[in-house]
Amino acid sequence: MRTPHNGAVVQRRSKTRSYRQSYRSCLGTASRLGLTPALTARRLNASRRAAKPQNDKVNPEHLALLVKAEWQLSYVTPLYQFRHTQLRSYSRQLAAFIVAEKQQGLAVEVSELHNSYRVSLSVVQGLTESEDDAETVLIQIHSKPMFARQDEPQRSVWSGWLTCVHGSPEYLRSLPKDFTCLPLFGSRGPEYLSRVVKSWFQKTFDCCFGSLEINHTSLQWFAALWTDCHSQSHIQHLRMLWTIPAAPPLQITYTVDHQDAWDLWNSVRKGPTAAVAEDAASIDLEEVTGFLQALKSHFYRHFRLDLSAGTLQQVSTAVGSAKSSGRIKMSNSRHVIATLTLLTECALLKMPI
Amino acid sequence: MLTQHKQLAQLQTRCQTPEEDMQSFRNFPAPSSSSGGVLWRMAHIVEENKLTLTHLAELEMIHAMENPNQGMWYTFQLLEPENDAQSVELTQFKQQFKCHLSELLRQMSVKIKKHTDEAVWIRIALGSSFSKPNHLKPTYVVHYLQTPYVFVRNLTSKLKPLLSQALTLATRHQGVKEANLSGRNLTSIRDLLMRQYQQVFPTKYRSPPEEEDQPVLNQHIEKEQGGVAAHRRHMAHQAFGDGMLPQLQSAVYMLDTKFRDPNNRTMTEREETFKCVVKFSSIDLLESLRSCASSGIASAPVTPLLSSIPLKGRNYFVVTDNTPGPSSQGHQTQN
Repeated sequence: MRTPHNGAVVQRRSKTRSYRQSYRSCLGTASRLGLTPALTARRLNASRRAAKPQNDKVNPEHLALLVKAEWQLSYVTPLYQFRHTQLRSYSRQLAAFIVAEKQQGLAVEVSELHNSYRVSLSVVQGLTESEDDAETVLIQIHSKPMFARQDEPQRSVWSGWLTCVHGSPEYLRSLPKDFTCLPLFGSRGPEYLSRVVKSWFQKTFDCCFGSLEINHTSLQWFAALWTDCHSQSHIQHLRMLWTIPAAPPLQITYTVDHQDAWDLWNSVRKGPTAAVAEDAASIDLEEVTGFLQALKSHFYRHFRLDLSAGTLQQVSTAVGSAKSSGRIKMSNSRHVIATLTLLTECALLKMPI
Repeated sequence: MLTQHKQLAQLQTRCQTPEEDMQSFRNFPAPSSSSGGVLWRMAHIVEENKLTLTHLAELEMIHAMENPNQGMWYTFQLLEPENDAQSVELTQFKQQFKCHLSELLRQMSVKIKKHTDEAVWIRIALGSSFSKPNHLKPTYVVHYLQTPYVFVRNLTSKLKPLLSQALTLATRHQGVKEANLSGRNLTSIRDLLMRQYQQVFPTKYRSPPEEEDQPVLNQHIEKEQGGVAAHRRHMAHQAFGDGMLPQLQSAVYMLDTKFRDPNNRTMTEREETFKCVVKFSSIDLLESLRSCASSGIASAPVTPLLSSIPLKGRNYFVVTDNTPGPSSQGHQTQN
């Protein structure tokens, strides 16, 4: 269990630079010259490694927790003085905080009456990609209803996690000592508990939460990455949901057969196909947009309706599903890391600092 | 409401006479929630007026006939009429239908009523060898005599073959098939099938300018785009109709055609077809499609795949590459 210790590296840098680099400035040199970062700097990576099934270094129980539900995503600014070694104490503090909020009448849900909460924060070992990533933290809130019997076990009423998978090394190393970067937050459960957990984190670690929508480009990436997974995990279908701004709004669900999606994806790939070159293959943004363009043109041939006029709202396969409202479901444990990598990048980009 | 339904179902299986039905229903403790209270009070009224389950079923049928735009309706079409199919009238139909259906099923309750708009409504509650008819989930069938169309709601797989047989025999046809049209609004799908909505027929000459006073926002844009926009609106109305359109909720296309893209040689040379399913949904589908065509999101002229919805009166299509036709798209819809 470690909190990334930036000590030596940061010390050297602080001699030459007195300000902390913002994430955006790490992406392009042009931004360092002006006050506002250049528009080109604020983009997702134009190329990324093809998803490869991760090694079995993550506890299968933890993985099972991650894959069974749909998570609501937020971005989080770096946490100040967060120690992975203090999780027990944090659990107690958070539990007490929840009870205090309830007594103040702030965290109350009329239909549910709980009197005691047990919070557990734990580390999910191995859910990282690079040395600079902080270890993922899993938060679970257990409780039992007010009038339950004594021997009834407490059940999980809320869960969440904070993670950083393959975050930009430049940015992570530029953070001052004492700051831990876990930019991606996923939660599942009643809204009032999410609010309480976020406000406790904000108070304790001086950080900021914000809603993370999954934008159009990221959804296209998911479509491509998950279709690419087909050689390892059967995707069953590629389903996309578009909304067209007609009066009244029109919703189009476009579901492609798995084999046809896979063949189309391979035909769009430049260079050696994924079947040939194992994990060295990287996917370019051009290939992704080419893939989506091919799907749209097939649609246009039949319906003479250009899907670009609308918005892509949702992409789903048997491997996972992503909604533009910021909800993600990772259905296959082998591809969790790839999904979290893309989401970490989105979160880092969305952060205001 | 679910628990009350369960109670009612239990009543039906346990009790013998209609009076006992109501009595034991009254013996349940008065529930606290408002919806339960309504049902309880209703049972009280029903008991005081000596009404039975059959009366309640009749009330429900009247309610269903007055509010047809609920649930999901599926359309069937009768095929191959016999010589005397056109002369089938109500009494003959009723007698034949009840007779054929009761031959096939024992425990069943069938009610037939004629609506003011000439539609024949049939309510079927099925039971089994062990239980009395389940009045909580009745099947409704609507048929307009002398037309080949039948609309069904809440059809069970058990009832389907028996209903088909009874209908074909009673209407003097030889078969029945699914008509590939479904929707929540019975009136809309009926109007769509029987062409009872305002249609614009294709004309060679431009129709007279529309009366609507659209404020001209920008003279220059109007000068450049006015003609094009008017042409698009005209094509849209030609494809889908004028004025209020029948309300459909969705259209499903099962596409099984070859992928043709000049930029993508691999896929174009591929032997297999590209299989996908496209579903259009909206609270008012035809209105959305017409607005897409008017605004240019859908290119004019509107593709036959979309204009088939009002033209052929169906919203489920299987599209394959049939014989290469003269159209540039090279595909046709299959019946």
